[in-house]
Amino acid sequence: MFGEKLKRLFSPESIAVIGASDSFDKLGYHVMKSLVKGNYNHPIYPVNPNSQTIWGIKAYPSLSDIPYPVDLAVIVVPATRVPQILNECGKKDIKGVVLITAGYKEIDGEEGKALEDEIKRIAYEFKIPIIGPNTFGFVNLTDSVNASFTYEFSLIKNGGVTLISQSGGFCHLCGFLAMEERMGMAKLMSLGNRVNVDFPEAVKFFMEEDEATRVIALYIEGIDEPRRLFRAICNSKKKKPVIAYKAGRSEKGDAASRFHTGSLAGNYKIWKGALRQAKIFEVNSSEELIDTAKVLDICAPMKGNRVAVLSSQAGPGMIAADAIESSGMVLSRFSEHTQNAINKLLPPVAIRTNPVDMGPAWYSPETILNILKVVSEDENTDGIIFIAIFASANLNITRDMGRILEGMEPFKKPVIACFNAPHGVWDKEIDNIDGRKGVAVIHTPERAAKAMANLYEISMKKD
Amino acid sequence: METFLLGMDALEFLRRQGFSVLESKIAISEETAASIAKDIGFPVTLKISSKTVIHKTELQGVRAFLINEKEVRSAFNELVHIFNITGRVKELDGIIIQEIGKGLEFIVGVYEDRQFGHVIMFGQGGIYVEALRDITFRPLPIDKKDAKEMIEELSISKILSSPRQKKINPDMIVDFLLQISQLIENNKTIEEMDLNPVFVSDKIKICDARLKISSG
Repeated sequence: MFGEKLKRLFSPESIAVIGASDSFDKLGYHVMKSLVKGNYNHPIYPVNPNSQTIWGIKAYPSLSDIPYPVDLAVIVVPATRVPQILNECGKKDIKGVVLITAGYKEIDGEEGKALEDEIKRIAYEFKIPIIGPNTFGFVNLTDSVNASFTYEFSLIKNGGVTLISQSGGFCHLCGFLAMEERMGMAKLMSLGNRVNVDFPEAVKFFMEEDEATRVIALYIEGIDEPRRLFRAICNSKKKKPVIAYKAGRSEKGDAASRFHTGSLAGNYKIWKGALRQAKIFEVNSSEELIDTAKVLDICAPMKGNRVAVLSSQAGPGMIAADAIESSGMVLSRFSEHTQNAINKLLPPVAIRTNPVDMGPAWYSPETILNILKVVSEDENTDGIIFIAIFASANLNITRDMGRILEGMEPFKKPVIACFNAPHGVWDKEIDNIDGRKGVAVIHTPERAAKAMANLYEISMKKD
Repeated sequence: METFLLGMDALEFLRRQGFSVLESKIAISEETAASIAKDIGFPVTLKISSKTVIHKTELQGVRAFLINEKEVRSAFNELVHIFNITGRVKELDGIIIQEIGKGLEFIVGVYEDRQFGHVIMFGQGGIYVEALRDITFRPLPIDKKDAKEMIEELSISKILSSPRQKKINPDMIVDFLLQISQLIENNKTIEEMDLNPVFVSDKIKICDARLKISSG
């Protein structure tokens, strides 16, 4: 519908900020901050009739006063002024709009709805894709475009996960969780009121047009035409894993229906079935969304359900083993060749079969990584959970692990590592391992096992 | 406008569409009820057949597991009496004499959702439907993979693979669900359909059905 326009919207070569401001209590200030401090490396044109410069950049009284072409307009002016500005956007041949302004159909009253209809009409007339209204914007981490009112999103690690959310609040929740969990993201966006860019348009774009996106995560509250989304995914020319978190699950019996089926049909139950039918993997918490997306992005696909647990401490290894079994996977039984190799690496003072207690190798990151390598080549193992918890005495193992890992080949099977340490200890060391060579770091053994089970299920679904 | 297909009409409609239904015949006198019951073979179930009564159990319009002629005759008279005392005898088409269902009870429904359009529900039937809510949904139409996954999603499917359970072939249930999907594809005017219960043993037989059909 929009041809190349969505590409220009998400990767613009110039941006106008309508309603840009130098005062902290205006959203126009924060949008400017996001672009400037987020290292946007193309021209920014602040638009505000009352200022000569904003954020130290030359400002223009109106959009039509900008003597250069503009790809993207970010609009943060009051709702009533938006129709006129959109007309100007159309005349200036702007490729896309982020409409942060709220106060449309989401509020009570006729006026908001009428304004939104007007916006829809203008957008249709000029064929301009609009993100919003009532959105925090979007962040393109691949190209350093932070077209949102929260600069801190620019601190998220660059990676392959794209989040398309119905809610801006959820983007903030997940964006900051992503930082905490070192998850790399390509884009994140909130659709807001979805004037003409809705889930199907966004999903299609990120699946087919955006190379940097490798995993798509959706946060859905409710949409009017869910089948349109499923068709978009099903008909996409490229396939990428899609995971979804569906909110609004409380079941309301449909009193209008006189039949049993009707009264048993809570809308969420249908969603659940529909997501599975459309091969969209459903997650049930924000953490699960992050863990699953991260592992999908970083790790190799999982070809079977046999898992090896390698732990520097026995207890957490047993927890991982329990979690593996309860999530439908099994502990692998090493081949004779693998077992012999492990027996050479570890003295017979600890359990050397799966789950392997690597305790005796506490001071030897070389040995630990050699065991990891040997097990990753085991013909009876499909994935590995690898655990090292900090203790004062093993301070240096992660540092040296990072260094040795650098010289190793990427793992062809998923490796999920649980590293835990107090804040300020191992931070940099874990950064150096997480996301490298197919190793994803997840906080706890239970979450690691769940993420691996999800990876297995999603890997098996691929046609 | 919409019409309902209930009682014997609903079973007859489904039979003509190629579904197996429990052997059912309608009787309008005590004598015919007794002789039909003998033909079908005891035990039998008696149910009211009416174009106006959607929920038979509310009227206590079902008598199950009648083991001899005497029980059939007295049940027949009781059911007719329900309509007589409420002055609704004209609404009674007759009494259905039905063979006893065997096997596990399932429930199958079709329903038109505002957002999803036609959806199918499949679940564990019987008296615990409300309590267990062991049910699953899919937008229609469904394919083989969907049908398999629906079965596997039910807790009761663990019983299907249990060695103590007499062999129930899951493929047979898959085919049945696909047949329902096809029925709706071919008859979009079916707004709602409720098959409850459906008996599954070495065969699948529909015991009771209600359909809501939109006209035009």
